[in-house]
Amino acid sequence: MQAVAGVVVLASLYVLLGVGYVLVYRASRVLNLAQGDLMMVGGYALFATVTTVSASPFIAVPLALAVGAAVGVLVYALLMRPMAGHPVFAAVLVTVSLGILLRVAVVLVYTDQTRYPLPAMDLSNPPVRLPGGAAVSALDVVTVASAAALLGGLFAFLRLSRLGIRMRAAAERPLLAAQRGIDFHALFALSWALASFAGALAGVLYASNVRLDPSLGILGLKAFAVALVGGLDSLGGLVAGALIVATVEVLTIRHVNPLLSDVSPFLCLLLMLLVRPWGLWGTREELERV
Amino acid sequence: MARHLVLALLFVATFVAPAQAADAYRIGMSVAITGPAAGIYAPAFDAYKVYFKRINDAGGINGHPVEIMFGDDRGEPSRAAANAKKFAEGVILIVNASISPTYKPLMTEAEAEKIPLLFGGGVCPKEAFPPAHPLIFCSTSFGAQWDSRFAVPFIKAQAGGKAKVGFVAQNIPVSQAEMEFAEKLAREQGLETLPVVVVPGGSADFTPFAAKLKDGGADWVLSWAPWPLEIGVFEALARIGWTGRYVTYAHQPAQDDLARLKSPNLFAFGGNALFTEALPIHKEIESAVKGQTSHPPHYLVEGWVSAMVLEQALRKCGWPCSKDKLAQTLATVSVDTRGLRGGAIEWTADNHYRQRAYYKVYRWDTGSRAVVPVGGWTRLDVK
Amino acid sequence: MAYGSGYFKTTYEADMALVDTRLRRLALATLIVGLAVLPRVASPFVLELVTQTALAAVGALALNMLTGLAGQISLGHAGFLCAGAFTVGILTESVKAPPLVTLPAAAVVGGLLGLVVGVPSLRLKGLYLALGTLAMHFVVLYVASEYQARWGFNTGVSVPAPTVAGVRFRSGVQWYYVLVAFAMLTTFLSVNLGRSRVGRAWMAIHDREIAAASLGIAVARYKLLAFVASSVLTALAGALWAYYRSFVSVEAFSFVVTIEFIAMIVIGGMGSTLGALLGAGFVTLLPYGIDAVVGALAPGGAAPYWLFPLKFGAFGLLMALFLVFEPLGLVGIWRRARTWVVLWPLRYAPLRTVR
Repeated sequence: MQAVAGVVVLASLYVLLGVGYVLVYRASRVLNLAQGDLMMVGGYALFATVTTVSASPFIAVPLALAVGAAVGVLVYALLMRPMAGHPVFAAVLVTVSLGILLRVAVVLVYTDQTRYPLPAMDLSNPPVRLPGGAAVSALDVVTVASAAALLGGLFAFLRLSRLGIRMRAAAERPLLAAQRGIDFHALFALSWALASFAGALAGVLYASNVRLDPSLGILGLKAFAVALVGGLDSLGGLVAGALIVATVEVLTIRHVNPLLSDVSPFLCLLLMLLVRPWGLWGTREELERV
Repeated sequence: MARHLVLALLFVATFVAPAQAADAYRIGMSVAITGPAAGIYAPAFDAYKVYFKRINDAGGINGHPVEIMFGDDRGEPSRAAANAKKFAEGVILIVNASISPTYKPLMTEAEAEKIPLLFGGGVCPKEAFPPAHPLIFCSTSFGAQWDSRFAVPFIKAQAGGKAKVGFVAQNIPVSQAEMEFAEKLAREQGLETLPVVVVPGGSADFTPFAAKLKDGGADWVLSWAPWPLEIGVFEALARIGWTGRYVTYAHQPAQDDLARLKSPNLFAFGGNALFTEALPIHKEIESAVKGQTSHPPHYLVEGWVSAMVLEQALRKCGWPCSKDKLAQTLATVSVDTRGLRGGAIEWTADNHYRQRAYYKVYRWDTGSRAVVPVGGWTRLDVK
Repeated sequence: MAYGSGYFKTTYEADMALVDTRLRRLALATLIVGLAVLPRVASPFVLELVTQTALAAVGALALNMLTGLAGQISLGHAGFLCAGAFTVGILTESVKAPPLVTLPAAAVVGGLLGLVVGVPSLRLKGLYLALGTLAMHFVVLYVASEYQARWGFNTGVSVPAPTVAGVRFRSGVQWYYVLVAFAMLTTFLSVNLGRSRVGRAWMAIHDREIAAASLGIAVARYKLLAFVASSVLTALAGALWAYYRSFVSVEAFSFVVTIEFIAMIVIGGMGSTLGALLGAGFVTLLPYGIDAVVGALAPGGAAPYWLFPLKFGAFGLLMALFLVFEPLGLVGIWRRARTWVVLWPLRYAPLRTVR
C-alpha cells in the first residue's frame, strides 16, 4: 500500500511537470527543456512573496502562480517569438540557455542555500494515515489533488471552451488556423503561460513539501522522459506515462537496486523509442523504414 | 566593429597578468562558488574574504597583508586544475573548499610544485590522516571513520545497549564507504543492523527509501552524507509516520533545520559548536560578517576555522615565508579554536587531521523550545 | 566566398590543395610555428588554457561532423566522452593496460556505443533522436557511476601518467604538444571529410533525406557512419582527457558538458570546421576572459560574490544571443569581417553564397 501511495504521489509530480512539456510541444513543436527551471522559479516566487509581500498562503500562493504564468509569457515574447522561423533545434537550445539564465538569476538573489517556504507561511506538513498502514504527508495529498484538478481543468478548457478549441486548432494546422483569423502568437503565449503556471504549481508544492534550492531543475529532465513515454502531445498519455514510470521507479527502489531508480525514467524512454517512438498516445510522426 | 574590438580586448587581456603586491602572503583558493555543490562551499569563500579583510585592515600578519586569489572551480576537475596552474605562479599555499572530484588535480599540481594544500570545508582526503602526506592538511570538522567511531557508541549508549540500526548513504564513494564501516562497527558492538540504504542524491522523493528503512524495522538510523540527503530522508521517515531516532552529522544548515522540524527524534552530531550556544566567538563572527555576506553567519564556520588555522600558521612562519617553510610550519600548528570546536586543532608531522577529535550532539528540546546540546564534548584520540 | 576574381588553377593537384594561395600558406606556417614556440613564452596557466581549448576543439569537431554536417542531433556527447575516459580508467585500474591498448580500446568502445545510438537514428528523426541520445547519456553515466561507486576515497578512478615508447607523458608542456597535435589532426580530418564523398553525402542527407536517397546515397549507411565517426573521435578525446587529468570521475561529464559542446558549435557556426574551432575557443576561454577584463578594470581586492554566477550566466546569455541574432555564429561574423576587409573601400554586400 505504501508503494502504491508512493507511485501515485510521484506520478502526480511528474504530471504537473509534464503538462508544461505537452502544452508547449503541442502548440509550437518546441521542447521546453527549461521546464524544470520554471518549476524552480515558481518555488522561489513563492518564497519571495512569502518573505516580502505576505505570509498568508491564500495570498502568497496565487501570487506566486501568477508570477509563474507571467514569466511564461515573458519568455515567449522575448525569447521564443524571435525564434519563429528558426530551426526547431535552435529553439530548443534557446530554452536550454533560458534554463541557465533562470538559475543564475535565482542564485544571484538567493544564493545556493536551501530554503523552506512552508514554515514562513506558518503551516505544517503532518502525515496522513491511509488504509493499509501507509502514510503520506498532507502536501502529498494536495499534490495529487492539484494534479488531478489541473488535468481536469485543462481537459475541460481544451475541449469545451472556445479558446481551448482555438488552441487545438492552431496546434494541429497553424496555417489553416491563421487563415481563419486565429491569432496564434497570442495562443502560443497562452500555452507558454499555462505551461509555466503548471511548472510554478509543481514548484510551489514541491518547495513546500520537500525543499527549495536552485538545483531542482534536474527533476525536469526526468519528467521530460515521462512526457515522451506518454506521447509528447497527449495529456492522457502523460498520465499513463507518469504512472508507468513512477511504478517502475518505486519497484526498482524496493526490489532491485536503489541507484537504478535514478536512471529508470530514461530506460523506459529508451524502450519506448525502440518500440513506439511517438509514445503511448502521441501522434504518429513520420518515420522511415530502412 | 565594437564587437570585434571587445573580443580582441578580451583575447589580449587573457595574457595580461594582474598586478601583484610584492610584499604580501599570497594564497590561492579553489572553491565551488557556483555549481551544484555551491550551497555547501560558497560560504567558505565569504568566510575567507571577511576574515582576511579584517586582518589586512588591522595591519596584516607580521606587518604584511594577506592576498588571496579566488578561483571558482564549480566542482569540476578541469577548472580546479586550471585554477591550480594559475596559482602556481607564486602562491605559498592552496586552499580547497570543493567536492572530492577536484582533489586529484589539485594534489597533482601541489606535488609537482611542492605547494602545501589545505582542505578547509570538503571531506578530508586520506592523505591528511596518519601517516600524512607532507603537503596535505585538512581542517574540516567531519572525517571518515572517526565520525562513525563516535556515532555508533553514542547510539548504543542512548539505546541502552540493544537496538536495530539502519544506515543511509548517498551514492558517492565517501558516504557509502563510511556507512559500510559504521555498519561493521555496529555489528562488532553487538547492535542489530540493516543493510546500508544507498540513496541517489538527485531523487525527487525519498519516501520509497524511507519505507525500506521503516519496513526493515529500524529503531535507530545513522546517516552520513551531504546535508540535503541526510535531512531529506529524515523528513521522509517522519512523513510516513516512523517514530524511531535519527542520528546524523550536523553540517551547516543543521541548527536551522533542527529548529524548523522541532522533532525530538533528530540528533545532529558534529565537530563544530552550533551558534545556538551563543558563545563569545559566535557573536564575534556574527558582527564581523554582518552586511558582508549573503549567507547566514553559522554557515561560515568551516571556512572560519580553516582561516584561523591559516592565520596561525602564517604568524608562526614569519616573514619571508616560503612554501616549504609554510609546509613545515603547518605540521606544527596548534590552534585554539576559542570554542568553535571542542578543543585545539593540533597537527604533527604524521597527523595532518588533528590529534584529538571532539564531538557534540544537539537536538530540539520540546520543553524549552530550543536547540540544546546532549551532554558535552566527547573526545576521541586520533592515532 | 566573397573574393573578386578567381584563382585560375591549371592542375588537379592545385585545385584539390587545402591551402592554395601564398597568403594562406604563410598564415598556416605562422600558426604552426607560433603554436610550437608558445610553451617558451607563455605561462603554465596560459598553456593549460590552450591545451583545454585543443581538447574541446576535438570534441566540438566531432560533434560538428555529426550535427553540423550530417544533421543528426545528438544530446549525448558527454556520454561518449565519459565512455572513452572510463574505458581508459577501468583498463588501467584493473589490468594495468598500457596506452597502446587502452586508446584503441576506447575508440572501439566509442564506436560500438555510436553504433548502438545510431541504429535508432535510422527510425527516429530530429527531436526524437535527440532524446534517444539524451537517454543514452544518462544510461552511460549510470553505468560509469556504478563502477566508480566501488572505487577509492576521492570519488573517481586514478589514471597514472602513460608511458609510450619509453617517454613518460607527465608535464604540461608534453601534453600541450600531444593535444594540440591531436587537435590539428582532427581538424585536418574534418576538413577533408567535409570535402570528400562522405562529407557531401552527409550534407545531402542533412538537407533533404528523400532527395539524397533518390540520388543513390545509402542513407542508412552514411548515418551510421556519421555516428560512429563522431563517437570514435569523441571517445578518443575522452581517453586522452583521462590521461591528461590522470583522473576520471562521473561528475566531470554532466549534461552541462553536452550543452557546452553544443554551444560551441552553435556559437561557432554549425556545419563549418572553422566554426567548431572558434566556438571551442570562445566557450572555453570566456570565463577567463571575463576574469581578465574584471581584473584589469578593478584591480586588487576579492571579487564580489555576484560576479561568479554572472560568469556562468554570461555563457547562457551569449548562447541565447547568438541563437537569436546571429544564427551563422562566429564564422558568420568572421566572414563578414573578411569580406569587409577584402572589399574595402567598396561597401556593397557581395552575392550570398552557401558555405
